[in-house]
Amino acid sequence: MAIPFDQILIQTVNGLVNGMILALVASGLTLIFGIMDVVNFAHGDLVMLGAFVGATTIAATGSFWLAFLVAALVIAVFGAALQASTLRPLLGRDPLTTILATFGISLVLQKYALWQWGPSARKIQEPITGQFAMFYLEYPWYRVATAFFAGAIIGAFWLFLKYGRYGIWIRATMQDRIMASAMGIPVPLVHTAVFAIGAAMAAASGVLFGPLGGVTQTMGFDFTLRAFIVVVVGGMGNLGGSILAAIFISLLEAYASIIVSPSQAVIVSFMALILTLLFRPTGLFVPTPSSSGACWRCRRTS
Amino acid sequence: MLALENVHTYYGKSHILHGVSIEVRPGEVVGLLGRNGVGKSTTLKTIMGLVRPAEGRVAFEGRGIGGMAPHRLAHLGIAYVPEDRRIFRLLTVLENLRTGLDRPGLTDRRREELLQKVYGSFPVLRERRDQAGGTLSGGEQQMLAIARAMMLEPKIILLDEPTEGLMPRMVSQIRDIIQVLHRDGVAILLVEQNVPLTLEASSRVYIMEKGVVRHHAPAAELRANQAVIHQYLGV
Repeated sequence: MAIPFDQILIQTVNGLVNGMILALVASGLTLIFGIMDVVNFAHGDLVMLGAFVGATTIAATGSFWLAFLVAALVIAVFGAALQASTLRPLLGRDPLTTILATFGISLVLQKYALWQWGPSARKIQEPITGQFAMFYLEYPWYRVATAFFAGAIIGAFWLFLKYGRYGIWIRATMQDRIMASAMGIPVPLVHTAVFAIGAAMAAASGVLFGPLGGVTQTMGFDFTLRAFIVVVVGGMGNLGGSILAAIFISLLEAYASIIVSPSQAVIVSFMALILTLLFRPTGLFVPTPSSSGACWRCRRTS
Repeated sequence: MLALENVHTYYGKSHILHGVSIEVRPGEVVGLLGRNGVGKSTTLKTIMGLVRPAEGRVAFEGRGIGGMAPHRLAHLGIAYVPEDRRIFRLLTVLENLRTGLDRPGLTDRRREELLQKVYGSFPVLRERRDQAGGTLSGGEQQMLAIARAMMLEPKIILLDEPTEGLMPRMVSQIRDIIQVLHRDGVAILLVEQNVPLTLEASSRVYIMEKGVVRHHAPAAELRANQAVIHQYLGV
């Protein structure tokens, strides 16, 4: 069966757009894992909460971009409170305790959303309404804009990590929590700040995704699952790897959906997950100390 | 300035320090000698808040610091150079130094002065400033670990076996930097196995055995009478 060139191109654009939103969610997840060894199973629910806060703000003010900022800020503060109250006391314990704790948080957040906003889906109106012709499709500009926007957020955060005065605190704490502390870095504060940043990135993804997929109280699970696959494939706690893996997995799914139905295409992500765990359990895109200063995580010393 | 009084420390159920008392006065270099596994490193970890003392008092400039978080101790002026160096392997040399420099309240000018000072003492770090810490040799990593501690402008540095596994040329460089720090008025608590270096660099020496301090004397006295050294260290 010959696959038409135009379909491949359309699916490449689709894969990149989905990949960038996923990368934004997965960045937060991998960052939180990298610094605290906590797999945050409530991460997708922070996406969901962000989307609802965004939708509510739009309903009140009519401004998408204001809603975007409000959602990121509100969820960042919420994330900080969540980390300080629930995860900080569990730090350094058996990983199972944090898995159970974050899973519990996930359930609570979903039920809260159901109670607060009801069971019906909400739609966020996209701020950019134009379309452009791509072969037989009228492709919305907004989809392309989300990819650029997600990329810009990730890029800005990357620059902060690399050159920002407090970016170095995060990278040092990721590599060696104890030595970072001995160097005067307030590690508990860094943990809370990183959780807040990860939560803000999740909320930002939620608002960006709102116009594409609608907002429901169960949307979080899908994000958690995909972001988790991406984080494992990219190498746990490795930011650059997660971004590459998000694009890689999304492209795989997009191409697969040319041949099979989109709901079956999800299977290729799971296959990528299983194959990675079998043959490269440390992840596909893992940095080593020899590969220049751009990479900033390796085996922990304790 | 720094005082341990009758400190007891445990790792789980094993009793490591059995009532250690040590004092370091401002600007003084104090040696801590002993064989492997007598509790020298644990003493430093207890001071640095990495292990919590079960009993006894740790005080810095008159205030109790037992159980304080390491980053607070760093702000008080205690810097730590661990035995395994603990370089941030994926950060560049300059970024390793920045972990101590990028703190609130430090002016750009002072940052630059501190950097130039360690580059002056360790020219190799300037050459390799953009290289990942993990790619340095053992000796270079040791220098980076000491330089990184100096970024905190500490009042005292806890140095854990800085010459372990280094070749003689590197050892003499470590000796030089201890002298430079001493001249600058920084106190040093030096844990070592290298007896000649310790006797030369320190003003007073404590000798530990099985979790307690067995002997305490001015370094000059031990240099003149090596019998005590033979008795406890078997060298």
